[in-house]
Amino acid sequence: MEEIGKISQWVFHIGGTRLVVNSTTIIMTWVVIGLVLAFAWVATRGRGLIPGPWQQIAELLVQWFKELVHDALGEAYKEQYFPLICALFIFLLMCNWIGVLPGMDEPTKDINTTLGLGLMGFVIAHGTAIKVKGLKQYLKEYFEPMFFLMPLNVVGEVAKVISISFRLFGNIMGGSIIIIVVSHLVYGLLLPPFLYGFFGLFVGTVQAFVFTMLTLVYISVQIR
Amino acid sequence: MALEISGTDIVRAAAMLGAGIAMGIGALGPGLGEGMAAAKACEAIGRNPREAGMLTRTMLVGQAVAESTGIYSLVIALLMIFVVK
Repeated sequence: MEEIGKISQWVFHIGGTRLVVNSTTIIMTWVVIGLVLAFAWVATRGRGLIPGPWQQIAELLVQWFKELVHDALGEAYKEQYFPLICALFIFLLMCNWIGVLPGMDEPTKDINTTLGLGLMGFVIAHGTAIKVKGLKQYLKEYFEPMFFLMPLNVVGEVAKVISISFRLFGNIMGGSIIIIVVSHLVYGLLLPPFLYGFFGLFVGTVQAFVFTMLTLVYISVQIR
Repeated sequence: MALEISGTDIVRAAAMLGAGIAMGIGALGPGLGEGMAAAKACEAIGRNPREAGMLTRTMLVGQAVAESTGIYSLVIALLMIFVVK
């Protein structure tokens, strides 16, 4: 029970400023990146017309996301945004699933990871909007439908980042706390594997998909 | 031995109580909403069983979005339990 509130940190002192880095998050993010790279290597090694099992999984994933991006953004922007969306989903899926392995922690359990990814989606969506519509039209849309509603529109855009990142963070963090508390209550007997299956695998998959879909929807709203 | 109750104890107790209330009331809305979404999805699948896969996927995504207000109250409850000292 004691491990709930604990965070392991590295503290650096560089030129009078104090830098605090969450060591678990950094290490686990690199482990996840390694796993994703390993998956890509295994899936594309010796690829052929008759796919092996790994290539089959990768092809299913890629095809499914290509259709999703095509439905959301249309033909013109499909090729440009498909790699981002697919990579985001695979990364988040691995992030949420890695907590199932013993001794591993989800990088998404840290608000910094999810807030960083949410800000990335925000910047990409608005950068796309400026590029597609032009700066003048982009700024004009904030003053619609009426002039004095501008602050509400700005707050609405910022709230999207908060909502998307806190949703992922809260789900993963809450799931891991429930696993710790319930495992403590039942002395680690019988229940924990099912809890890991539900909160780690099922909720992790759904939330990774929701995060990816919402990023895609934010981009497509800005393009339309 | 007289029992001393200081200000920090009262703050701590209030934070614990607040966490409980936040979670209890905050879980009400998402619970109702997700139940309604599931009921409608069941109706739709009963009427059109061939589309069950797509309906289930859409339902899950919608429920995960509706869940977010409950998750916010969870985050607030966690803040009150672990941060307020």
